[in-house]
Amino acid sequence: MEANCASKRSCRIFEFLESSIGKKIMVAAAGILLCGFLVTHLAGNLLMFVGGPAFDHYAEALVHNPLLPVAELGLLALFLLHIVLSIRATLANRAARPEGYQVYKGKGARTPGSRTMAVTGLLILAFIIVHVATFKYDVGGLKGQVAGQEESLFAHVLGWFANPWYALFYVLAVGGVGFHLSHGVQSALQTFGVNHPRYTPALKRLGLAFAVLIFVGFASLPVYFGFFHKADLACCAPVEGGSK
Amino acid sequence: MKLESKVPTGPIEKSWDKHRFELKLVNPANKRKFKVLVVGTGLAGSAAAASCAELGYQVESFCVQDSARRAHSIAAQGGINAAKNYPNDGDSIWRLFYDTVKGGDFRAREANVYRLAQVSNSIIDQCVAQGVPFAREYGGTLSNRSFGGAQVSRTFYARGQTGQQLLLGAYSALMRQVGAGTVKLHTRREMLDLVVIDGVARGIIVRDLVTGKVERHWGDAVLLCTGGYGNVFYLSTNANSCNVTATWRAYKRGAAFANPCFTQIHPTCVPVSGDHQSKLTLMSESLRNDGRVWVPLKKGDKRKPQDIPEAERDYYLERKYPAFGNLVPRDIASRAAKQMTDDGRGVGNTGLSVYLDFADAINRIGLDKVKEKYGNLFDMYHHITDEDPYQQPMRIYPAVHYTMGGLWVDYNLMTTIPGLFCLGEANFSDHGANRLGASALMQGLADGYFVVPYTIGGYLTGTKLPKVTTDHKAFVEAEGDVVNRTKALLGTKGKKTPAAFHRDLGRVMWDNVGMGRNAKGLQAAISKIPEIRAEFWKNVTVTGEGADFNQVLERAGRVADFLEFGELLAKDALVREESCGGHFREEHQTPDGEAKRDDEKFQHVAAWEYKGEGQAAERHTEPLTFENVHIAQRNYA
Amino acid sequence: MNITLKVWRQKNAAAPGALVEYTVSGVVPEMSFLEMLDTLNEQLIAKGEDPLAFDSDCREGICGMCNLMIDGQAHGPDKEATTCQLHMRRYKDGDVVTVEPFRAKGFPLVKDLVVDRSAFDRIQAAGGFVSTHTGGAGEANAILIPHDMAEKAMDAASCIGCGACVAACPNASAMLFVAAKVSQYALLPQGQPEREKRVLAMREAMDKEGFGHCTNEYECEAACPKGIKLSNIARLNREFLRATLLTE
Repeated sequence: MEANCASKRSCRIFEFLESSIGKKIMVAAAGILLCGFLVTHLAGNLLMFVGGPAFDHYAEALVHNPLLPVAELGLLALFLLHIVLSIRATLANRAARPEGYQVYKGKGARTPGSRTMAVTGLLILAFIIVHVATFKYDVGGLKGQVAGQEESLFAHVLGWFANPWYALFYVLAVGGVGFHLSHGVQSALQTFGVNHPRYTPALKRLGLAFAVLIFVGFASLPVYFGFFHKADLACCAPVEGGSK
Repeated sequence: MKLESKVPTGPIEKSWDKHRFELKLVNPANKRKFKVLVVGTGLAGSAAAASCAELGYQVESFCVQDSARRAHSIAAQGGINAAKNYPNDGDSIWRLFYDTVKGGDFRAREANVYRLAQVSNSIIDQCVAQGVPFAREYGGTLSNRSFGGAQVSRTFYARGQTGQQLLLGAYSALMRQVGAGTVKLHTRREMLDLVVIDGVARGIIVRDLVTGKVERHWGDAVLLCTGGYGNVFYLSTNANSCNVTATWRAYKRGAAFANPCFTQIHPTCVPVSGDHQSKLTLMSESLRNDGRVWVPLKKGDKRKPQDIPEAERDYYLERKYPAFGNLVPRDIASRAAKQMTDDGRGVGNTGLSVYLDFADAINRIGLDKVKEKYGNLFDMYHHITDEDPYQQPMRIYPAVHYTMGGLWVDYNLMTTIPGLFCLGEANFSDHGANRLGASALMQGLADGYFVVPYTIGGYLTGTKLPKVTTDHKAFVEAEGDVVNRTKALLGTKGKKTPAAFHRDLGRVMWDNVGMGRNAKGLQAAISKIPEIRAEFWKNVTVTGEGADFNQVLERAGRVADFLEFGELLAKDALVREESCGGHFREEHQTPDGEAKRDDEKFQHVAAWEYKGEGQAAERHTEPLTFENVHIAQRNYA
Repeated sequence: MNITLKVWRQKNAAAPGALVEYTVSGVVPEMSFLEMLDTLNEQLIAKGEDPLAFDSDCREGICGMCNLMIDGQAHGPDKEATTCQLHMRRYKDGDVVTVEPFRAKGFPLVKDLVVDRSAFDRIQAAGGFVSTHTGGAGEANAILIPHDMAEKAMDAASCIGCGACVAACPNASAMLFVAAKVSQYALLPQGQPEREKRVLAMREAMDKEGFGHCTNEYECEAACPKGIKLSNIARLNREFLRATLLTE
């Protein structure tokens, strides 16, 4: 391993990333930064409740910000780091027990969130692909299909939410995010070495609360706009065949 | 056979320094040319292997367990003595020496015991440097407690896991050397024979317990650190794998076996619950610091302990021994318990136990403090008995715990076979006829860290050791013996399991050679043991193959040796017509039931020499002289 | 009472293995689980069958030799207890109990229920020590260690190296074992000179043995017979990060 290193320092970074603990620290770090992204993203999204113009104005400002591509690249890098290292760790973990147990029960320390990290992770990945494809690259072609709303992202989003299947998928996926975070946040703290008999129980609860807030925040949009406020959006309904 | 103790002359305080100076040194560059085989990885073995490797010798270390960290030293609970005098209560090297000689009922070599007391302080320093987490005071200094048989607080401890922490310290030192490549560690290897060439120990034969392969290993010196033989009683506090095989094989190759009848019965063990029982569990003696031992005054009192009023309880240790109370030495506490149960005042379903009560301690120092001091012991007791000792008194009974006897060694810890050293519990050691609490750990580490590393050098420089290889005919023969023996065990194909034979032997030993011994019982044992042995070789069943992982075969080999050794133990007990320490002959007691020594006839070490199959072993003696300790009847009243 | 056991039997690492069913008769509540297995073995040997191979030694919960997955739980259902401390009063007549060896790539199987845990020895040899040599130590009380610090170090040091943490971990990770050793020395002044070197070396040795990553499932803590806490793993993570950043 060491022979391939250009310098001692680069070797250290390489070793760190290759090491079991280093890998987990990087996954946790990327995860926590992605949580930050979730918060800003949610804050933006919640503008939908303020109204179409507010939301569209925010979207416009964001799109025209020259730093956006940089941020997007950074975000992509974080996702890739988080995903690639997680997958590598998971594969190594599978290999660490080549012959499994016939009966495995454990002693009840695992949580539903911790058990499903890989599944929720993959669900989130799938969602991100669909999400970016539909909302950013307009795959499925809803943009501009609504009369008079050519430039409105608000209308675009509402258009998708009006599709109950899409709305449901969205809720399910952000449910996955919540689940992922219910384990992920406190797990990341532990990986960073934050564990104190006095503070850890509180931090665990905060992590859980954060997961619930993220879920409720994101899920409120498709639920509200997809099921309860559908009637108001009749004007914006996608034309026949557009979303199929 | 001549027993030369090689004890230096002159004042005892200077003996060890003088002796160390007189021992020739091995040139540092030459040390790596010598190979030292260390059998066993307990306190003595790990400490010796690590220390010899640090000095530069090539070391190979062997243990029967899957890791060097599991040797039975790990189970020692209470603590380790040292004459640091930190509590300022009047302790000194001299006092520790004096207490140990007296505690051993004047059957140990003065100079050895003095050396032990001298190096006791270095052991604590050494262990602290290794990172052993001893208990501490709030100011950060080391904490001490008092321990059975001592009126000063000189015991250092790490909760109830002192043996574990000391062993892990020694194990860490050993593994450091393994990592550095200076010690080659062979786990899951059982030593089955000693190879003696021209009267000098030059190697061992071991069986790889995983593959069954029999291996030859040569060395310039062999260190046996293989522990005690308590399992000859079948039930003891020893681990399952503790056995006499290594020392017994050495005995049969010419090493004298000293004082086999000196066995220690520990007073505070969890009582036997039934025939299925595979071992007994010790409850540390430290419990007697705060627990009070009692039985009902009335015979056959079946009331619950909490229903027996204070006036109807007999705190018999406090009554009989007001000065020491519950802290009398182990042999005395054990016999007192036996007297109570013999008297029909034992408690529990079997009537074979006495109470150890913490109610007063909980009232006095509080539940939390009791928990901090003894929590893990209480939990252990709770696990085993399903009774909560915070709510009701513990039930305890004596059990075989430690064996003071072992291979005879001189001041250098060398046996009667040149080049064969014996350390720790395996040698006949410094405890005389009775070991004081917290002294086993001290002795094991003293031998390993601070005695053998010096004396081995003296041996290696002072002896001409021609190069040997494992092709030598002595190796071939010894291996042949081992292979034939294995074949015989596998080939008997009888009906009875090795464990069943072990149980039979244990019953004979406990009933006749246990806490109370008499000529009639001992003679019965001496005639019964050969019968069991004969039946063993006719009717034992050993399943499986030799060239395989075979735990039945391992057990059978150990039981076969116990069946020979038990007889020698009983013989030694029969010949020693006196009561001293752990050896209590019912014929020799004071009117109030205390042990009565016969210094005129038995102030000596008895060392048995093997004279060949079917021949009676020969008893040699090494007289003991006491120039520094005033001989007296032990009196703890 | 009678207990039906489904036990993993496998002649050696190369041979195929399977669960085999046995009924053990004459089990009493006071028996320990291992004494129940002894009873089965005595019954098997009497029939001339090969008895079960399983490891145990001290039988009082301190040597760390015994192991076993009992109904999918390392060391069985009791909290903070080893298999040898598990008693049959936990079970009732007619119960069916599945017994398997500890499973991990780092713990290759030897026979039946016996596994090879020498990986732990190699991790220890990589750095689980203070480099002091016999005779070189200064006066013991010259090193002052606060009471609570000593207690915390003792909590970590009480690890018995049984491997239950690995066996119980869904990822077969050895983090709790390594964390316990690293913590003991990281907490004590004696461990400071080699603090960074030790954690880096032990981590490397641990990974080399093929143990999995810690994903904070916390089953190790739940299974540990000595109650070693997760805070030690957090400390190991800190120590590793610290050592990585500080080492020149």
